[in-house]
Amino acid sequence: MIRVENISKNLGEFFLRDVTLEVNDGEYFMILGPTGAGKTILLETIAGIYPPDKGKVFLDGRDITNIPPKSRNINVVYQDYMLFPHLTVAQNIGFGLRSKKIPKEEVERKINESADLLGVSHLLHRYPGTLSGGEQQRIAIARAMVMEPKALLLDEPLSALDTQTAERLRQELSKIHLATKTTMIHVTHSFEEAFLLGDRMAVMDKGGIIQVGEPNEVFRKPGCKFVADFLGVGNLFKGESTIDRDVSYIDIDGVSFVSTTLKSGDVYVSIRPEDILVSKQRIESSARNSFQGRIESIVDEGTIVKLIVNIGIPFVAVITKQSLDDMGLRNGGSVYITFKASTVHVFK
Amino acid sequence: MHIKGGNLRTEMMLAKLKESKFKIITLFFSLLLAAFILVQLICVVTHTTPQALITSIASPEIGFAIRLSLITSVISTILCIVISVPAAYALARYNFRGRSLLNTLLDVPLALPPLVAGVGLLILFSTTSFGKGLAEAGIVFVYTPLGIIIAQFFVNVPFMFRILRSTFQGINPRYEYVAQTLGCSESQAFWRVTLPMSKNGLLAGSIITWSKAIGEFGAALMVAGATRMKTETLPISLYLNMTSGHLNLAIAAATILIIISLASLFVFERYGGFARVF
Repeated sequence: MIRVENISKNLGEFFLRDVTLEVNDGEYFMILGPTGAGKTILLETIAGIYPPDKGKVFLDGRDITNIPPKSRNINVVYQDYMLFPHLTVAQNIGFGLRSKKIPKEEVERKINESADLLGVSHLLHRYPGTLSGGEQQRIAIARAMVMEPKALLLDEPLSALDTQTAERLRQELSKIHLATKTTMIHVTHSFEEAFLLGDRMAVMDKGGIIQVGEPNEVFRKPGCKFVADFLGVGNLFKGESTIDRDVSYIDIDGVSFVSTTLKSGDVYVSIRPEDILVSKQRIESSARNSFQGRIESIVDEGTIVKLIVNIGIPFVAVITKQSLDDMGLRNGGSVYITFKASTVHVFK
Repeated sequence: MHIKGGNLRTEMMLAKLKESKFKIITLFFSLLLAAFILVQLICVVTHTTPQALITSIASPEIGFAIRLSLITSVISTILCIVISVPAAYALARYNFRGRSLLNTLLDVPLALPPLVAGVGLLILFSTTSFGKGLAEAGIVFVYTPLGIIIAQFFVNVPFMFRILRSTFQGINPRYEYVAQTLGCSESQAFWRVTLPMSKNGLLAGSIITWSKAIGEFGAALMVAGATRMKTETLPISLYLNMTSGHLNLAIAAATILIIISLASLFVFERYGGFARVF
C-alpha cells in the first residue's frame, strides 16, 4: 500500500499543497486533473525524485520519505517515453537489471519475458530513435515492468499517441494489470481513460486533491462544481448494449437508448448536454431517442441553464435562458427530451 | 529570327540581373571574403618549394615543436574536460543563489586578451606564496612546458565549459530520473545516461579546445616564455623562426598549424553543429 501524508512541495511553477492519498495493493488508481494541477510532481514525489518540503510517503507501512529512488522499487513511465537513445531496446529494457546482481542468463530471460508481455520482442536489437511512439511507449513500460515494481507510476502514458494506438495500449495496460496485479498509479487528463481503467480515482486541481472515489461515483456525484466542470460530461452511464440491424440498443437501468456506435456487451454511454432537445410536447422527428421526464432542478449558469430531467435516470440538458422563459419551464414540470442516435457516444 | 531570339534571351538575362541586384551585391561580398581567406592560406603554403617544406618539417626543431604541441594540447584538453564536466553539469542542472554571477565569471577568460591572462598566471605562479609553494614542491610553471599547459587550460576552458553546459541543458533531466528509479544513484545515472547522451557535445568541445590549445600563443608566451627546444610549441616556433629569419622553418610550422585547424574545423562542423559556443 502506498500512503502519501500531508505532502507539500513547491517547485515554483508547479506545486503540491497538503496532499493525502492512499492507494491499495494491486489497485489501478487514476489521477485526473487539468494541466498544472501538480499531478506529475505527486508522481515524482512518490518515486522519490525530490524530497517533499513537508509530509511523508509510506510504502507498505514503512516510511520511505528519505529513501532514494533506486531503493524504492517504484518505477515511472513518462508521456514522452524517455528511452535511452544510445542503448538498444534490449539494453533499455535490461537497464535496471544491470544494477541488480543477477546472472546473465536470468537477465536475458527477464528481458525476453517483459518484451513478450508488451509485444516488442521483434524490436530488441533496434535503437529507440527509429521506432514509432506506440512502440517506444511499450518499451518504456517493459523497462519498468521488468523490475517487478511495487508500484508502476504512469504519467500521461497515452497522451502523445494517436487515438487508435492509445486505445490499443490502454487495453493492454488493463490486461497487464490483470495479469500481474501490479499497483498502478496513472495520471491523465482524459476522463475516458480514468473511467475505463480506474478501480478508484482522484481529481486534482491547483496542487490539491479534490475528490477521491470509484470513477462511477465521481462522475455521477461530482463533489463540487470544479469536478463537474472538469469532467465536462453531464450524461455518463453504464449499460448493456445489444446490436440489431445497424444500430445498438443500450439498456441503462431499464431505459433504452439507440446509438449508431456499434459496440456490444458492457459499455459506457455519454451524451453531451448540448445535444439534447427539450420540448413540452412529444415531437415527431427523425431522432430515435425521445423520453418523457420530470424536471428535478434548474441551475442558472449565466447565459445558459442546466436542467436535470429524471427519465428513470437523471439526465442533464443545457438550454438558453431565453428558451427557459419562453417555454415557461418550472421545477417538477413535465418535459420531453429528444436526441439523435448519432449523438450517443458508446465506449468500452 | 535567330538574332531576335538571341536579343530576347539577353533582355531576359538583363531583367533577371536587375531584379536580383541585391542578391548579386551580397553574393559578391561573400565571394570576396572567401577569396581573401583562400589567398592567405595559399600564400603561406606556397611560399617555399615543396622540397624545402618537407626538409623543414623533418628538422629536429620542428619535430620537437610538433611533439611539445601535441603533448601540451592533449594534456590541457583532458584537464579542460575533467574540470568542465562537473562544473557545466552543476550550472546546467541546479538552481542556486549566485548562479548567474558564477556563469559570468566562468566566461571571463573568453573575453580576456590571452596576453593579460598570461600576465595574471605569471604573477600567480611566480610572486604569490601559492606559486612559490608549488615551485618548492617541484611543480614549476614559470618558463616550463607545465606553464604552457596551464596557459592553454586557462584560455580554452570556457569553450569546453560552454559547449558542455548547453549540451547538458539540452538533455531532459527525466532521463536521469528514470535511471534513478531503475536502480542508479545520482552519479551512476550521470555516467550511464547523461554522459553517453552528451558524446557529440563532448567530442565537439574536445576538438575545439584541442585545436585552440595547439594554436595558443599569447598566454603561453607570458608564462612559459619562448625558449628554443624547451618551450617551443608550433606557434612559438613560428614566432621564433620568423623573427630570426629562418623563413622555411616558420613556414613549416605555419603549414602544420593550417592543416590541424582545417581538420578540426571539419570534424567540429560534422559533429558539433548543434553546440552553441557563443
